[in-house]
Amino acid sequence: MNADARQDFALAFLGILFEGAPFILLGTLISGFIDIYLPAGTMDRFLPKNRNLAVLVSGLLGAVFPVCECAVVPVIRRLVGKGLPLGCALTYMLAAPIVNPITALSTWKAFQGQAPWAMTGGRMLLGYLIAVGVGLVVTRIALHRVLRKSIADSIENKPYESHSNCGHDHSHDPDHNPKKPDDSRLIAAMRSAQKDFVDVGIYFTIGVAITALFNTGIAPGAIWLDSLAGNPAAAPAALMALAFILSLCSTSDAFIAATLAKFTWSAKLAFLVFGPMLDVKLIFLYQSVLRRKFIMVMALSVFAFIWVFAVAWESWFGKVVLP
Amino acid sequence: MGFRGGMGIVVRKGGAAMNSVLRRVFFSLAVLLWAAVILYFYQSGRIVKYLAPDFREIALAGGLGLAVLGLFNLLTAHRKGDCGHDHGEGEKHDHDHEDRDMSPLASLILMTLPVGFSAAWTQDSFSQATLARKGLYDNLQLSETPYLASAFSAPTREEIENTHSKTADGYLQFSLMELFFATGDRELQDVIGGMQVETEGRIVEEKNDNPNGTRMRLYRMFMTCCVADSSAIPIILEFGKEPPLLPDNGWVQVAGTMTFPEENGTLKAVLQVNRATAADVPMEEKFLRR
Repeated sequence: MNADARQDFALAFLGILFEGAPFILLGTLISGFIDIYLPAGTMDRFLPKNRNLAVLVSGLLGAVFPVCECAVVPVIRRLVGKGLPLGCALTYMLAAPIVNPITALSTWKAFQGQAPWAMTGGRMLLGYLIAVGVGLVVTRIALHRVLRKSIADSIENKPYESHSNCGHDHSHDPDHNPKKPDDSRLIAAMRSAQKDFVDVGIYFTIGVAITALFNTGIAPGAIWLDSLAGNPAAAPAALMALAFILSLCSTSDAFIAATLAKFTWSAKLAFLVFGPMLDVKLIFLYQSVLRRKFIMVMALSVFAFIWVFAVAWESWFGKVVLP
Repeated sequence: MGFRGGMGIVVRKGGAAMNSVLRRVFFSLAVLLWAAVILYFYQSGRIVKYLAPDFREIALAGGLGLAVLGLFNLLTAHRKGDCGHDHGEGEKHDHDHEDRDMSPLASLILMTLPVGFSAAWTQDSFSQATLARKGLYDNLQLSETPYLASAFSAPTREEIENTHSKTADGYLQFSLMELFFATGDRELQDVIGGMQVETEGRIVEEKNDNPNGTRMRLYRMFMTCCVADSSAIPIILEFGKEPPLLPDNGWVQVAGTMTFPEENGTLKAVLQVNRATAADVPMEEKFLRR
């Protein structure tokens, strides 16, 4: 790497890192305190007993607990460990970065003059449907086919025995003492948060490094990208690929999408739905929870579904209903 | 039980405890390095080259949060934590929710080396090659950019004169961004076209459609969130003769008549320059390393 390339890489790398690190910290602090203070099964109690209904509700939890895609991964790691059904956890993971008030507001603001309500509503609805679809499929798959072995093993080996007196689970220790000093639990929570931060931070670092390498060399493809803008089949695929490489935050990616003036409305929608679900850094973050094979299948399925939707929309409605 | 089993068990327990403390120290150091880098860039003001204004305070909060997390865990590394719940058969009762697959040293290296090297390598700006990739020499095009255009929604000439300062020699002071985005808005072109304006930016060679060598390019970088998504905001400077000697990629103040001609089928923002002088780096850009 020559001096110019090092300079470019370092600038882009630090820019993305500074932008994302606070959100990862927020997510890992939440996850650390969930780990220590949230009794197992609590989330489960808030959801309907019917597993399909539970998945449907999970897709809306981002409206109450808005978390961006960087922060959501450590949170769901802990929630799964706490007994939240995996289908619900993945639904929340995919939907929360899109179906939340902050993302809705930024999308609406960015698309002023370009049917902002349609774009905001379309983004949230399509994001919700895909997340729920993935969640419903995952509820029918064995844990060990979805989760990393160590996480799946820890869940499958953990008996959740409800104990009505203190609200959290016990197994074999009758000498449980709820009056242990609080600071030792705080220490445990902070350690858990730090451990999660390092876990996620390693994958985030690798993802950001790759993103920075693409980012500083991506523009040679800009002319090629422009040539695809008017093609109703190629444009959504091209913008999803761009979203994958750029790895933008869901709270701010609409401002980029809105300036892609040459591209069709449905291609921009594809950019805005696919990006928060799958990008370079997320691929690495997801590996801290999910099996690589599952990530690959999920990525291809989501890509294919959004592409089919975008092409169909453009063919049937695009030129009539929206600019 | 461990202590009744003989020296071997004692050693294993001691070793495990030492490993746990060492792991916490390594993790804390990694977190503290991230905190130090973020806080240093914020405190030095260099953060303005990396993050858009909305994200700078968030970065500060993140840096402070990381510092608290790392210091807390470093100072309590030797203490025993209590996760507050009991465990299943076969599960360690003295566990600390810190088990992980990767070795602590490998984690420390992966967390710190890329950040450390990047902090050492960065010059707070992109090279000319990357600037070119980020649109410095792209042809300007008539396009709708609703979000940005809405920030400067169709003012009248009177409104512009009331909202922009005038120099002693009669030029209205514009930001380069206003002039650039006027290229994508016919209404703004009608109002600004022909105006006597003054603006500032960095000057570089004009590489497109410049057969007589009378043109230069003026640009600034515009970022939405962070520097990785930034793009160059350029206009063309037409001197009508050989341009004056100005520092390449240096800051200049230029004044002249704003025009929006269509050349070879492409709409362009061209400032017919009357005067051009080297300028101080503007306040928000003063945090360069060199």
